[in-house]
Amino acid sequence: MTETTLYVIQQLINGLTIGSTYALIAIGYTMVYGIIGMINFAHGEIYMIGTYVTFIVIAGLMGMGMVSLPLILVVALLLAVIIASTYGWTVERVAYRPLRGSNRLIPLISAIGMSIFLQNYVVLSQGSRDVALPPQISGGWTFGDPSLFEVSFSYMQLIIWVATFVAMGGLTLFISRSRMGRACRACSEDLGMTNLLGIDTNKIIALTFVIGAALAAVAGLLLGLYYGVVNPFVGFIAGLKAFTAAVLGGIGSIPGAMLGGLILGVTEAMTSAFFPSEYKDVVSFSLLVLILLFRPSGLLGKPEVEKV
Amino acid sequence: MKNLKKTILGLSVSALMLGATVAEADIKIGLAGPATGPVAQYGDMQKIGVMAAIEQINKAGGVNGEMLEGVIYDDACDPKQAVAVANKIVNDGVQHVVGHLCSSSTEPASDIYEEEGVLMITAASTSPTITEKGYQMIFRTIGLDSLQGPFAAQYVIDKIKPKNMAIIHDKQQYGEGLATSVKNEVEKAGIKPVMFEGVTAGDKDFSALIAKLKKNNVDFVYYGGYHPELGLILRQSKEKGFDAKFMGPEGVGNPDISKIAGEASEGLLVTLPQSFDQDPANQALVKAISDKGEDPTGPFVFPAYSAIQVMTDAMKATGSTDTQELADYIRSNTFKTTTGDLDFDDKGDLTEFSFVVYNWHADGSKTAAK
Amino acid sequence: MTKKFYNAVFAAGIALVLACLMIGVKLNTEGTQLTVTGATTEQWAWIGLGIAIVFLSQLFAGQIDRAFGSLPKPKIGHLLPEEKKMAILKPWLFAALVVGLLVWPFMVSRGAVDLATLTLIYVMLGLGLNIVVGLAGLLDLGFVAFYAVGAYTYALLSQYFGLSFWACLPISAGLAALFGFLLGFPVLRLRGDYLAIVTLGFGEIIRILLNNWTNLTGGPNGISGIAKPTLFGLEFTRRAKEEGNMTFHEFMGIDYSSSYKVIFLYLIAVILMLFVVYVINRLMRMPIGRAWEALRDDEIACRSLGLNRTAIKLSAFTLGASTAGFAGSFFAARQGFISPESFIFIESAIILAIVVLGGMGSQVGVILAAIVLTILPELAREFSEYRMLLFGLVMVLMMRWRPEGLVPMKRPHLELKQQ
Repeated sequence: MTETTLYVIQQLINGLTIGSTYALIAIGYTMVYGIIGMINFAHGEIYMIGTYVTFIVIAGLMGMGMVSLPLILVVALLLAVIIASTYGWTVERVAYRPLRGSNRLIPLISAIGMSIFLQNYVVLSQGSRDVALPPQISGGWTFGDPSLFEVSFSYMQLIIWVATFVAMGGLTLFISRSRMGRACRACSEDLGMTNLLGIDTNKIIALTFVIGAALAAVAGLLLGLYYGVVNPFVGFIAGLKAFTAAVLGGIGSIPGAMLGGLILGVTEAMTSAFFPSEYKDVVSFSLLVLILLFRPSGLLGKPEVEKV
Repeated sequence: MKNLKKTILGLSVSALMLGATVAEADIKIGLAGPATGPVAQYGDMQKIGVMAAIEQINKAGGVNGEMLEGVIYDDACDPKQAVAVANKIVNDGVQHVVGHLCSSSTEPASDIYEEEGVLMITAASTSPTITEKGYQMIFRTIGLDSLQGPFAAQYVIDKIKPKNMAIIHDKQQYGEGLATSVKNEVEKAGIKPVMFEGVTAGDKDFSALIAKLKKNNVDFVYYGGYHPELGLILRQSKEKGFDAKFMGPEGVGNPDISKIAGEASEGLLVTLPQSFDQDPANQALVKAISDKGEDPTGPFVFPAYSAIQVMTDAMKATGSTDTQELADYIRSNTFKTTTGDLDFDDKGDLTEFSFVVYNWHADGSKTAAK
Repeated sequence: MTKKFYNAVFAAGIALVLACLMIGVKLNTEGTQLTVTGATTEQWAWIGLGIAIVFLSQLFAGQIDRAFGSLPKPKIGHLLPEEKKMAILKPWLFAALVVGLLVWPFMVSRGAVDLATLTLIYVMLGLGLNIVVGLAGLLDLGFVAFYAVGAYTYALLSQYFGLSFWACLPISAGLAALFGFLLGFPVLRLRGDYLAIVTLGFGEIIRILLNNWTNLTGGPNGISGIAKPTLFGLEFTRRAKEEGNMTFHEFMGIDYSSSYKVIFLYLIAVILMLFVVYVINRLMRMPIGRAWEALRDDEIACRSLGLNRTAIKLSAFTLGASTAGFAGSFFAARQGFISPESFIFIESAIILAIVVLGGMGSQVGVILAAIVLTILPELAREFSEYRMLLFGLVMVLMMRWRPEGLVPMKRPHLELKQQ
C-alpha cells in the first residue's frame, strides 16, 4: 500500500470514530423530531451532563479504593444513563409538555432557554474550567509500513464503534419489535389518532426523551473516556454537530441519523486531511446546505406531504 | 446568608456605579477586565495584583497624602461591553485605569481613553497592534507577542534545529499572532515550516491533524494558543504514537495543561516571562498575597502590581494626578518595580521584557531549559 | 389530593436526584488525579430549599397556575383614551416621545447615553428579525451573519476607500440585503426547521470566513480605527484628523466636550431607529406586509389564492437582512473596532429572544424587550454569575405563562360599533 492509501485509511478510522458519536447524539434529535416534530435544543446539554456524571462516578469510586476498571465503568454507565435520562425526562416535563399544541416556535424558544439554563447550572455547580480524567483505556493496534505511514487504531476507538453499533442495533430492534416501539412508531405517524386508540401519548413522548437522553449519556461516557476532558460548553458544539448530522440524514429517520453522523465525521476528517483544518466546519455546513438543496428532507427523510 | 449579603452589597454597588459622582478625597483607579465569563480566572490574577498594590501603598500612607481606591469594572472580555465600560469609566471621572485584559477589549477601549485623556496601563494585553497607533495615554507592563515570538524562534533556531517543523495555531488573535511571528523569524533563518495551520478553539478531536503531522514526518511543533487545545493535542499525540517535541507560549504554561495531558506534557517547552513570584526580592509580597488566601503565581499578578507602582511613582514624582504630565513622566523615566526596572518607549511599550524557556513536567512544575 | 401529594413527592425525588450529582458533588483535580468533594452544609441547605420549593409548587400547582392565569393581563388598549380622542392624541404623544428621546441625553450621564445607544442597536436588530420571524414566520437562527456583513462592509470601505459613514450606510444595508437574497433564494423552499439549521450554518460560515480571510478582514485581529460618523463633515474629536477639516466644537464656537460625540452617536441611532420603525410600519400596512402574515398563518391557503410564496418570503428575508446591515454598520461606527468574536451564535439567540419575549410581530413589544434585555443585565451586574442562568429560566417560564410575549401583536383594525 502506498503512503497516501495508508493515510486515507487512518483518516477514515478517525472520521468514523467521531462520526459514530455524532450519530449517537443525533438519535436523540431525530427521535424527538420524528414524534412531536420539534427540535430538542437542550439535547447537547444532556450529553454534557452525561460526561460529568461519568467523571464524578469514576473519580468517586476510585477515590473509595475500587480497582476493577470494568466494574467501575459499568457502574458509571448505569448511573450516567439513569441521571441523564432523569434530566431528559425533566426537560420534557418542564419545557415541552405544558406547551403542547402551541405555535411550534414556542417550545423551540423554551428549549433554547432550557439549554442556556442547564449550561449555566453546570457552570455554577462545577466551575467553567476544563476537567480532565487521566486515560483509563490506552493502547491499540498499529499496522502499515513504519517507513511510509503507520496507521494506529486504538482500543478506545474500537469500543466506540462497537458501542455505537450495539446501541443502534438495540434501538432499531426496540422500535421495530417491542410494544412500546410500535406505539412510538404510531405516534410519529399520527399523534392524535394514536391518542384516540387508547395509547398514553404523553408517556410515549416522555419515553422518547428518555431514550434519547440515555443514548446521549452513552455518547457522553464514550467521548469522556476518549478525549478525557469536559467543560460546560462542550454540549453546545456537540449538539450543533449532531443536529447537523440528523438533518443531513433526514430528521425523523433513525438509520438516517446513523448515516448522517458517519458522513459528517468522515467529511470533517477528510477536509482536515487534505485542506487546512480551519475550514472543516465551513465544508461540513456547506455540505449540509448542498444536500438540503437537492434533497430538501435529508438523505433518508420522508418528504412531508402537506395536507389541508 | 453569605449569598444574601453579597446580593445586597451588589445592589448597592451597582446603584453607586449608576449614579454617584466620584468623591474628591481619593484617587480612584479603575480596574477593567473580565470578572465574569470564560476567562474570568485571568481577570482574577489582574485583580489580585492591583488590589495587593493598592493595599500596600495605602498602608505606607498613600500617594501625596491621598488614598488610592480600586474600582472594578467588568467587561467579560467582550469588545462591545469593553466600549461600554470605557465610557462608564470616563463618565465616573476615573482618570487612571489598569486594564483591559483581552487584547480585543483593550483595542476599542484604548481609543476612548486616548480621546478623553485617561491614563491606561494594561498588564495583560500582548497584541502588538494596540500601541501601533502612537497613543499618548496607553502603556503596558507586559511583553508583546512580537517580542515573545522572535524569542521562541531564536531558541528553535539555536537549540532545536528541527528537520520538519510545523506551526499550529488556534485562529485567535493571540495564537495566530505568535505563530505568524515565529514563522517569519524561522524562515529568515532558513527553516521552512512544512505546515502552518489553524485549528478551531474549543474543538476536542485533533486526530485528523495528528495524522497529518505524522504523515509530514514532523519532528517539532510550535503551537500558538492556549492550554486546553494543546493539552488535548499532546494527549492524543501520545495515544497515536506521534512523538514530536512541542513548544508553546505563556498561554499554555498553566498547570491545567498537565491535568489534561498527564504524562504527555512531560518535556513540553514553554516560553514564559520570568516567574516574578520566584524572585527573592518579591518573597515578602508573595507571602502577603498568599496570606490573604489568594494565588500569587498567575502570570499577570506581578505585571498588574507594577502597573500600579508605575502610576503611583509617577504621581509622587510629579506631585500631580494630571494624566498628560504623568504620561510624559512615564515615557522619560525608569521605574523600579517588582517586575524589575521598567523603561517605556515612545509607543508606551516596555523597551525590554525578558522571557525564559522552561521545560514543563508532568506534575505541572517547570525547570529552566538549557 | 392524595394523587397530588404523590405527584409532589415524585417531583421532589426527581429534583433530589438531579441536584445530588451536580451540586452535591464537585469534581476537583489534585496533581493529575481527579477527585470528588462533597458539598458544604450551606450548599446542602440550598439543595434542601430548592427541593422544598419543587415539592410545594407541585403540591399547589393548580392554585399557582390559576393565580397566574387570573392576573390581569395588562390590556394597554383599555388604559388608553377612546378611539376618537386617540386619533387626535396619537400624533402628539408620538411627537412628545420623539422629543423626549432627543432631549433626554443632554440631561443624563455619558454612561447612560452610551448604554442607550447599545440598546438602540438591539432594537434595530430585533425589528429586523421581527420581520423574518414574527411577521413572515421564518425561523432564522443565523441573523447575526447579516449584522456582521453590515459591520464589515462599513469597516472595510472606510479603511480601504475612506468612504464616510453616511455613504456606507446604504451600501451596508444593500450588501446585507444582497446576502439575504442570495441565501434566501435556494433555502426558502425548505420547511421551517430545516431553514433554521441552514441559517444557523450560514451564520457560522460567515463568522469562520471572516476569521480565516486574514488578508482582507484582518482575521481574528479584526479591524480597528474605524472612522466615526461626522455631521456634514464636522468631526467630533478634540483635533481634526485631516488638515482643513473642522471639528464640531470649533465650528459652533463652544468648548470641547467628549460627551458631544457620545450624544451625537446616540442621536444617529435614534434617527436610524425611527427610520426603521417608520419603514416597517408602512410595509406592514401594505399588501406585502399583509402577505407576510397571511403566509405565516396559512401557507397553503396563500398559494391557492395565487400569492407568490417565494417572492414574499424572499422580500421578508431580504428586508430583515438589510435592517441588520443597517444596525451592523452603525455598530462598527460606535465601536471603532470589530472582530469576528462579536458575531457569534449567542448574539443570534439573544436577538431571537428579544423578538419572542417582546411578542412576535409586535413592534412595541420588540422595542420593550430589547430595552429590558440590554438594561437588566447592566443593573444586575453583581448577580452576573446567575445572570445567564436566570436568562434561561425566564425564557422557559415566559413561554409557559405568557407565550404571546410582553406586548402581544395587535393588528391595526377597525371595529364596528354595536348599536
